[in-house]
Amino acid sequence: MTDPRDIVSGVGMLSEGTHFVGEPPAGIRRVPTGVDGLSTEHLVINMGPQHPSTHGVLRLLIEVDGEEVVAVEVTLGYLHRGIEKLAEHRRYDQLGTLMDRGDYVSGMHGEQAVALAVERLMEIEIPRKAAWIRTMVAELTRIASHLVWFGTFGLDTGAMGQFLYAMRDREAAVEILEAISGARMMFNYIRPGGVVDDLPAGIDQKILAFCDGFETYLDEHHALLGGNEIFQGRVRGIGVIDRDTALAFALTGPNLRASGLGFDLRRDRPYDAYPELEFDIPVGTTGDSWDRYMVRMEEMRQANRMVRQCIEGMPDGDFKAKVPRVLRPPEGEIYAATESSRGETGVHIVSDGSDTPYRFHYRSGSLHAMQALEEILPGHLLADVVMIVGSTDVMLGEVDR
Amino acid sequence: MAIDRLTGEHSLAFIRSEQLFDYARRNSLWYMAFGIACCAIEGLMSASGPRFDFDRMGVFFRASPRQADVMIVAGTVNKKMAETVALLYDQMPEPKWVVAMGACASTGGPFREYPNVVLGVDKIVPVDVYIPGCPPRPESVQYGFIQLQEKIKQQTEERLAARSHSD
Amino acid sequence: MRPDPTAISSLLSSAGVDAEVEGTTLGTVFRVALVDALAALIVLREGGHDFRMLADMLGTDTGDGIEITYHLRSFSRDEEVYVKTSLAYDGELPSVWTAFPSALMPEREIAELLGLTLAGHPNPRRLFTTDGIDPLLRKRVPIRTLEEVRDR
Repeated sequence: MTDPRDIVSGVGMLSEGTHFVGEPPAGIRRVPTGVDGLSTEHLVINMGPQHPSTHGVLRLLIEVDGEEVVAVEVTLGYLHRGIEKLAEHRRYDQLGTLMDRGDYVSGMHGEQAVALAVERLMEIEIPRKAAWIRTMVAELTRIASHLVWFGTFGLDTGAMGQFLYAMRDREAAVEILEAISGARMMFNYIRPGGVVDDLPAGIDQKILAFCDGFETYLDEHHALLGGNEIFQGRVRGIGVIDRDTALAFALTGPNLRASGLGFDLRRDRPYDAYPELEFDIPVGTTGDSWDRYMVRMEEMRQANRMVRQCIEGMPDGDFKAKVPRVLRPPEGEIYAATESSRGETGVHIVSDGSDTPYRFHYRSGSLHAMQALEEILPGHLLADVVMIVGSTDVMLGEVDR
Repeated sequence: MAIDRLTGEHSLAFIRSEQLFDYARRNSLWYMAFGIACCAIEGLMSASGPRFDFDRMGVFFRASPRQADVMIVAGTVNKKMAETVALLYDQMPEPKWVVAMGACASTGGPFREYPNVVLGVDKIVPVDVYIPGCPPRPESVQYGFIQLQEKIKQQTEERLAARSHSD
Repeated sequence: MRPDPTAISSLLSSAGVDAEVEGTTLGTVFRVALVDALAALIVLREGGHDFRMLADMLGTDTGDGIEITYHLRSFSRDEEVYVKTSLAYDGELPSVWTAFPSALMPEREIAELLGLTLAGHPNPRRLFTTDGIDPLLRKRVPIRTLEEVRDR
């Protein structure tokens, strides 16, 4: 184990003023050097891994000049638990359990990515109903996940009420997911070839009731937090990620769309039942924290719309394809990605023909958002750091894997 | 307990100060907001949410270890994290308790085979209550806290009994 | 989504990069030498195909070396290509962060988990693990056995 003092002494690199050596590429801002010519001594502040608003075990070393952030170093690895390595010792149908615990708030998207990868490699056609069930549970998970983000993002600003309302609605969504899959968070419901079990009887009415209620609740949530002047003052124009920076750091998902690039895997790399559904993709204009907030709020509305469409148009038939008990995909490589709540959750599998993957790689949206933090945080006030980290909605389980 | 002569109610209680303190302690178990992984969503966030509402048991989160009585280790502890967990435990004032929540904190859970993962948080800090599950439901966490309250009560009784025995 | 391989090969060869084209289950894969990797990525970014995003990066222990895969994406043409290169164990991986800053952390991850050293990286320290931990994604590094876990 390293001595924590060693880590802090490694910050010497930060004091030299440049995170980037050499000429930065187009679109990358340099770290500002000094504020209004005042020669104050820089101070390094440690934030995390135990901090109420780092959303997990993120550790930031922040160098400040007065109250202005000069440089930031992100220290990761406090949740590194070897999903990629352990996957090499798990059978293909067991990979979903690991993916659930990667991005633990939106588990279904990770499972879906594994299932898609294995199906594409083995050329399995899944029944239409399985695709529709998958799409529906994925969108419900998106609502549950964005509600966690909504509640904690408000907590970052100091508001408390919206957290309680968000958790109330999340419980309703989680209850439905529990009725479908049997678990509140670690579903392991989507498997290669379909889903584990059919929808339980009478769940349609429950889900429709949830959709009806959630539409009004969402407006209330938005009025409660987004309509607050203090909140707006703290997010508007803060943490701007422009399009070039977003592309350079490979942001995906809501963070990319808030920067004005409307790339959504659900529309541009269609999978499961998304081509048959109607939905809009919210896109931001400036890429500040407010845009990221608005994009996620609108995504919840669209997800709600899709859940309703799925229930209303749910086809009949089987919920899983006939797949062998032990999956042995042919030799080859495959990359499959789903649009998760935090960006592109991709799975890159190298198969050697046996029943376990030769190499399993988990591409997460949060890791790339994390790199962008080092670039966008300098120049902001120390109090805004928490807000910007909250607005990018990073999930440390997915970053460290 | 003593009966009041005027009202006939149990209005006076003669207990030792130690019992009084422990009564207060076990009904205000403030935990530290320290979510490591998945269990944090269930054990810290859902728990303080409106449905499970741990506040009514006096269980409430504090942001700083200096103000906390209980540390819920909610997630996998790896070798890089181990040091921080020990440091936070040392920063908490006495008396303090540790709840190992979930399979990972108890034994390493689904990640036990990975060499970077510590096989249970009891290798680093003493644990009072283990809660099984991956992740445990908030109800399990609630039951864990009730068990912790029982444990505190029992410890006081044992301590008092031992002292009166030695007198 | 799959680009025209001949157009890209001619683009690469005009920049002096020899690339083997493979059409696999993964997609269109260009295999280049390690010294040409950065040049190839810059050509793909700057040449007409506009591969602006390095979406993903991974390293694989193939048994006789490490294979690095770069996953590039172009939004204007809606295309994806993969660039593969390989190097020896304990080799030196030249950083491509000057062309694609999104490689900063994945490169550190690959270097620490596969036991490589980084060249030209602004912060070539470990990302996830502490000092003294083996490169865990190497095939030679085993996971814990059942006995070790049981007698924890």
